[in-house]
Amino acid sequence: MTTLLRRPWFGPLVALVLVYALFAAVSPDTFARAVNLSTMARQTVVVAIAAVGMTYVIIHGGIDLSVGSVVAVTTVVVAQCLRAGYGPLAASGIGVLAALLAGLVNGVLVAHLRITPFIVTLGTMSVLRGAAKGLANEQKIDADPRGLDELMAAVPPDSWQLLPTGVWIALATAVVAAVVLRSTVFGRHVVAIGSNEQTALLCGVPVPRVTILVYVLAGALAGLAGVMEFSTLTVGDPTDSIGLELEVIAAVVIGGGSLAGGQGSIWGAMVGALLMTVIKTGCTHAGVPNWVQEILTGAIIVIAVAIDRFRRR
Amino acid sequence: MKRRTFVGGLVLLGSAALGCDKKSGPTGAGSAGGGGRLRIAVIPKGTTHEFWKAVHAGAVKAAKELDVDVVWKGPLKEDDLKSQVDLVQSFTAQGVSGIVLAPLNDKALISSVKGATRAKIPVVIFDSALAGGETVSFVATDNRAAGRLAGERMAKLLGSDGKVVLLRYQEGSASTFEREEGFLEGIKKTPSIQIVSDNQYGGATTESAFSASESLLLAKGADKGDVGGVFCPNESTTFGMLLALQKAKLTGKVRFIGFDASDKLVEGVKSGQIDALVLQDPLGMGYTAVKTLVTHVRGTKVEARIDTGASLVDKANMAEPKIAGLLRPEIEKWLGK
Repeated sequence: MTTLLRRPWFGPLVALVLVYALFAAVSPDTFARAVNLSTMARQTVVVAIAAVGMTYVIIHGGIDLSVGSVVAVTTVVVAQCLRAGYGPLAASGIGVLAALLAGLVNGVLVAHLRITPFIVTLGTMSVLRGAAKGLANEQKIDADPRGLDELMAAVPPDSWQLLPTGVWIALATAVVAAVVLRSTVFGRHVVAIGSNEQTALLCGVPVPRVTILVYVLAGALAGLAGVMEFSTLTVGDPTDSIGLELEVIAAVVIGGGSLAGGQGSIWGAMVGALLMTVIKTGCTHAGVPNWVQEILTGAIIVIAVAIDRFRRR
Repeated sequence: MKRRTFVGGLVLLGSAALGCDKKSGPTGAGSAGGGGRLRIAVIPKGTTHEFWKAVHAGAVKAAKELDVDVVWKGPLKEDDLKSQVDLVQSFTAQGVSGIVLAPLNDKALISSVKGATRAKIPVVIFDSALAGGETVSFVATDNRAAGRLAGERMAKLLGSDGKVVLLRYQEGSASTFEREEGFLEGIKKTPSIQIVSDNQYGGATTESAFSASESLLLAKGADKGDVGGVFCPNESTTFGMLLALQKAKLTGKVRFIGFDASDKLVEGVKSGQIDALVLQDPLGMGYTAVKTLVTHVRGTKVEARIDTGASLVDKANMAEPKIAGLLRPEIEKWLGK
């Protein structure tokens, strides 16, 4: 029991259950329906996958503000590839590759030019947003999704699959990432650098290499999130996901990630992402107007960061 | 140390509870499935523009008349495609009686609308078309007819001959394309009128429309009296063109017809700088869209395409009650602020 309480995701999980119960009590006829659970899981996929990468970045002691732009670039690249006649798998692969390259640029700039990640990714956020608009000729790109839309389509109620494919992909990503973080040398290096970079360096951790790898990983995962976004939208949208990075960072922080580095949990971030979807959907079901919902979401982010500070005192 | 996280979670929950309990009452939308009362979700493209406020007012008007609940919910981020897709899915999962939707994109919303249809939730599309999916009806301005109205008026203003400039809005925008084509159709009924430019675009913002207007007027020799009339297909191009005409001191010398209204444009009509504006009826659109859906749900057949009409406003008819109603929709009356 005490080990359970020690888990970083335990607090957010309790909050999630309570918030869910609250909304289920407010709108019992609609919110508590099984189909709503599946819908909420589906709506969390993009933030969740991006949050896996962001957890690594934040544990490493960095931040990645370019996530939203990377997702937008990916939707455009995937749409353009599909239009050019590539199959769904190839198009997704090229999309993820583009995102991975963006991550590589972030990583190299952070590791070798020694510019703080905040500034580097603030810059690439704008660069990539512009690139997305340029690639898309400043409009939305229509493309036949060729089955890619199935990733995020609602599953029939009696299907053996239970949840949409995209949700399973997100879960699998989280499992792999959690294992890598906990049980591999790379994972331990990431935590070591985030806890104290100088000490890690003295202990022989190859800091630049690990740093680049972390941002490459974050880029690739943002790309995977972008493929899911394309699957949802079925168009490549260069203006998509503005401000997504803030949602992703919030998910990680709610889940126990510390912006000072060294701390964070993949499962905590997953719960954090889900918590935000539950609040969003719950407010829709309860008929809360947008302006209240925005205030609420903002308040939650601040409270989450406040908790982070409180915990480390 | 960890217990504090837990306490934090509770604080977080408390704030959620506060926000939501407080609001479920006043919007009058909390009574889902209460005794068979219909609950209609209305999803606009955004919530802050004047146009959408008028649509909202119309939807509320219909709800009061027909004794149904209307839930008004736009994308959290203005004009954000993903939020709109999420909203349609959420309302589908919620099992509302029907959805009234103004799609931000004619393709991206198809799969969510299909999802709603599969869940036996009827969908009425309004304002902008959806390129697929099974929907009950499409309620919108017939943009081609509205453009034709402007074209015919322009011909009348110019008399038998004259040179006309059309400043288009943006590539790939369906509604304004229809208006532009309608305008050209209307003007071509008078063959002696010459169209000197119809391939220039104003772009998305007032600023881009302004610079495009300036160069266009200069290129076509408007200062030497070589341009008789100008038409612009939306609010931003109309305003940009108005600024350009003012700067070149050509207002009143060039016949000018625009589309949509804003305070500045209405002012322009009053002072004679704009000869006429084509106005849509957003309040009527919101009203008709909700009414159409309710009629369908209650078992009566409805038209697949409903035109909510467009009117020309000029200095002479501004004061007429019908036109004044379009210029100043009764937003306060229905939304109560």
